[in-house]
Amino acid sequence: MSHPSLVTEDLTIRFGGHVAVNKVSCTFNPGELTVIVGPNGAGKTTYFNMISGQLPPSEGRVLKDGIDLTRMAPSARARHGVGRAFQLTNLFPKLTVLENIRLAVQAQEGAGRNFFTPVRRFTELTARAERYLEATRLEKVAHMTAAALPHGDQRKLEVALLMAMEPDIYMFDEPTAGMSLDHAPDVLDLIAEIKHDKSKTVLLVEHKMDVVRALADRIIVLHNGELIADGDPDEVMSSRIVREVYLGAAEETTA
Amino acid sequence: MNTAVTHPANKGDLIVKAIVLVIAAALLFAPFLFQDVRSVEVAARICIFVVLVASYDLLIGYTGIVSFAHTMFFGFGAYGVAILLKQMGPGWGPVVLGTLAGVTVSIIVATLIGLLSLRVKAIFFAMITLAAASVVLVLASQLSGFTGGEDGITYRVPDLFKPATKLMVDEDGKVLRILGVKMNGKLAAYYFVFLTCFILFLFLLRVVASPLGTVLEAIRENEGRAEGIGYRVVAYRTFVFCLAATMASIAGSVYAVWLKYTGPDTALSFAIMIDILLMVVIGGMGTMWGAVIGATLMVLAQYYLRDLMAVASEATSAIPLLPDLLAPDRWLFWLGIIFILLVYFFPAGLAGTIMKKESH
Repeated sequence: MSHPSLVTEDLTIRFGGHVAVNKVSCTFNPGELTVIVGPNGAGKTTYFNMISGQLPPSEGRVLKDGIDLTRMAPSARARHGVGRAFQLTNLFPKLTVLENIRLAVQAQEGAGRNFFTPVRRFTELTARAERYLEATRLEKVAHMTAAALPHGDQRKLEVALLMAMEPDIYMFDEPTAGMSLDHAPDVLDLIAEIKHDKSKTVLLVEHKMDVVRALADRIIVLHNGELIADGDPDEVMSSRIVREVYLGAAEETTA
Repeated sequence: MNTAVTHPANKGDLIVKAIVLVIAAALLFAPFLFQDVRSVEVAARICIFVVLVASYDLLIGYTGIVSFAHTMFFGFGAYGVAILLKQMGPGWGPVVLGTLAGVTVSIIVATLIGLLSLRVKAIFFAMITLAAASVVLVLASQLSGFTGGEDGITYRVPDLFKPATKLMVDEDGKVLRILGVKMNGKLAAYYFVFLTCFILFLFLLRVVASPLGTVLEAIRENEGRAEGIGYRVVAYRTFVFCLAATMASIAGSVYAVWLKYTGPDTALSFAIMIDILLMVVIGGMGTMWGAVIGATLMVLAQYYLRDLMAVASEATSAIPLLPDLLAPDRWLFWLGIIFILLVYFFPAGLAGTIMKKESH
């Protein structure tokens, strides 16, 4: 197996007396798509927040390719190749779809520091932004503001932003939440495509079992902030402890 | 694929740009169009305030930073030039050095305020700028040996701008008149103001159209996500705060040269800060064109509303009550009413609302 690209060591966060995530140590490898499952309140999003930098951990470390990210701001982690899409749509509402994507493209180029050359001269940036527009099938709404999009398209834009960052680590937090059935496959195809690139690491929080089955190379299970299972999808799904804490309560979703 | 093509300019955009073009033309030819001292004074003030308001809009409208220290930076520039002109005598040296000194002080102070407090919540930042501006205002009136205190400083400016300077002479050696306008130092001074402000405004237009401009809007729209996709929000905010401070400072220096006088009332008072805020709101936040419209309307109102009301009061003298209501002394009352009506009917400012309304 190749070197792990992302490592969390004893990652812990406490809110007052409540331990939301407790000593989660895990390694993630390039070319591997790991699905993180667990009941609501298990700490999945909080775990994500500590990896992408929105929350500082109380204890433990986050390493990417051996570099300690623990004390870095989210912007620095993004520049180190950790990209994140959010569960709740988190866009730039009054900017157009194209501008939203271009912002993510230009962030890695450092072009955002240019304060004198008109945007339209950066044809290469725009061309790259357009590639992601096409990939997410948003080209028809390119000049609409993000706020004016229907929910499904906003979710796609959320994914487009992450793809446009061109990270090494892709973190998806329920990318198809609230999406209609005809939109969801678009997003899942995109994730499957990223998975084919063996240099990329994908972390995916997902509830829908059909999605999990279709995409997962590996499943980890969080319960009450603790990592209770980690391994091959079939193995994990059939293990007793997982059935008890998670699937037992949601048997109907296994259809 | 043809998404690179920007939208066709909509009607609202065109209306706003046409208004701005008319204002720009009026300012360009102001000394020829309105041949009295007061009108040229008004035109110069409009030029200065366009830059001041546009640079403030870069903060409040584009980036979402609320600062009450914009006049402080304006004052740094004005006092820099004023003090040096007073100490060194008239000449271009003190003007250039004073401008540079003003800009340097502005950048240092803006960086300090920015790094120390742009991490905190917007309301605390606003309070800190308010405190800094108050301190500077008090300092300016206390250090009277240096700043002239409440009385301010009167000084002479470079010879080129003296009214007696002849830019062009006719055969008799008298100052040449073109279209009735004397080609003298006063004219040179006006075009000095106009050109500097024009260049500064063009610069600001470039800034908002650049990739940085989009990042600033992104920070206004969703600070957390801007940070999340890789932008160091604090660094960007601090940079734009310094940039706006620099613009305000240069505008202050130019105004000091134009007025030949600098005091708390012309360069530092909170009354100017409130004027700037009103102009931004009237014109429309987040659009540079709004700054031009807002500054023009407000300055015109400040100078001419009283005159207009005197005429109206005169004209209605036969009717009871009305002449009293329209008495020139009540101009602030009417200005207030006009302002409330503008905000009510143009919630996004004149430019903002017109652009939005016609875009569908």
